[in-house]
Amino acid sequence: MGKKRQSKEWKWTLIVLIPTIIIISPVYFLTIGGFQTAAEIFHRPIYWFPPHPTMEFYNDAYVTLLPYLKNSLIIALGNLALTLGVALPAAFALAKFRLKLGKPTFFILIFTQMLPATAVIIPLFLIFNNFKMINNYFSAILAISVFTIPFATVILRAYLQGIPTGLIEAAFIDGASLFRVFWSIIVPLSRPAIATAVILTLIMAWGDFIISLTFLKDQTMQPMSIGLYHFVGQYGVEWNKLMAGSVIFAIPPLMVALLAGKSIVTGLTSGAFKE
Amino acid sequence: MKTFSYKLYFFLIPALVYQLIFGIYPLIYNFILSLKDVNLITYMGGTSQWIGLFNYVQTLKDTVFQRAFFNTLVFTVLSLSFQFIIGFLLALLFNHSFPLKGLLQSLIMVPWVVPIIVSGSFFRWFFSDRGMLNGFLLSWGLIDNPAHWITSQILPLFSVTIANIWLGIPFSFVLLYTGLTAIPLELFESADIDGANWWQKAIFITVPFLRPVIITTLTLGCIFTVKVFDLVWIITKGGPGDVSHLLSTLSYSLAFSKFQFGKASSVLVIMLLVTISLTIFLNSIRGKEESSIG
Repeated sequence: MGKKRQSKEWKWTLIVLIPTIIIISPVYFLTIGGFQTAAEIFHRPIYWFPPHPTMEFYNDAYVTLLPYLKNSLIIALGNLALTLGVALPAAFALAKFRLKLGKPTFFILIFTQMLPATAVIIPLFLIFNNFKMINNYFSAILAISVFTIPFATVILRAYLQGIPTGLIEAAFIDGASLFRVFWSIIVPLSRPAIATAVILTLIMAWGDFIISLTFLKDQTMQPMSIGLYHFVGQYGVEWNKLMAGSVIFAIPPLMVALLAGKSIVTGLTSGAFKE
Repeated sequence: MKTFSYKLYFFLIPALVYQLIFGIYPLIYNFILSLKDVNLITYMGGTSQWIGLFNYVQTLKDTVFQRAFFNTLVFTVLSLSFQFIIGFLLALLFNHSFPLKGLLQSLIMVPWVVPIIVSGSFFRWFFSDRGMLNGFLLSWGLIDNPAHWITSQILPLFSVTIANIWLGIPFSFVLLYTGLTAIPLELFESADIDGANWWQKAIFITVPFLRPVIITTLTLGCIFTVKVFDLVWIITKGGPGDVSHLLSTLSYSLAFSKFQFGKASSVLVIMLLVTISLTIFLNSIRGKEESSIG
């Protein structure tokens, strides 16, 4: 058999490759844009390859953005800790038990997840301002979590529903406490879903723009997304630095997408389909 | 397991309380703001007054609001239709086995994982007067002068819509692809035996089977499109003038550029009413078809 079938399958790969290339082309043009001077970026006809590649702008962008890295990490990791700490226990309670407050809680989670960010951020800005919490990492972390907690809970709950209830019952019969069951059975067994939730939560917090833009006015506290936004200056855009910086900033999530594309697919679908 | 009941609330309550404090309370606060004359001066001085529905009357009469409302409608309908068509075609393409499928599928997810400031910046350049799109169109001889994709009256709305379509492809692709793979292969095999052609299979097997998935994709897509903010803010900031405002960007600029918090809140409440009715619509449809979603 083999050969003919093989070549037919490769033909599909080629067909699918065309739309895929179009879809990822922005990343390619940003990447080569970072290697070009402003004149080359706006050259007509468009350059498909940088004619005189230079590392200058990647270097510049790297040096300018580096101070923002710490803030991005604080926000992303702080958000991750808070999200998992709240979402994992909630997912356990929602997936394995029938609680009176279960349904309302789930409804509120879904509802808040669907809220427009602006609808939460504008009032939160005034509330945080009253508590002198503007320009405070916590304000950004707390606000981002409003959207990542529901997302993570839904993913984790969908997975936990698949863990046999018998396992939990057996542990209870053996005299294990609820917290013991959670730590020694649920947490280890749900590792794949936890990994998915971690990946998606990190991508969301890393990419956040509007919340940091609103709550972190002090430049020394802003994450890289806002650092990049400063390249879009009041009187014109520094395109080379913006493009080079964009690529640097997008590398971590892009790597994750390539290495764990499957997790992203599972996460997005379980979020949408599981009741 | 009833005996655990109260202890179980240790697990559930943090999530519930968190969302109530940081998700629901701001909404209520927002509603209160919309009934008061909150601007920078009254806010700082703590002297804002109750003014009933005055903000709403002002907002509804405002031509900028009307434009933003209409824009949101056009933006949502166009985004949703094209995202759906492109996502569906991609899902059909991927519904075969071929080499490198996993890699290509991951690449399709790229628009979802790329931070919004990055994709927004790209499209800002792509659509700029001297940008990539005009570059292509001019060198292919399709236009004689650069078009003002984000610097004219009508085009900016469509430019940001195109950018948003790109952004939403992974979402509709993933949902529809998952739905497609759930259709039992035997159905297609027996249709093949009966001599059905591609169209007949599509109309009598694929579409009916996918109905619940299609409804979910469209409704969720609708909710997520109505709330798009960052992309438009980065590309046009709602401008030039106010021509490409969506409800989301309009409320943000009212609040943080003009400091009219009360009016901004009334725009948000109107936007929320739209979201809430969509959510109710979604739940009622999904409830009916629950058994078939599985």
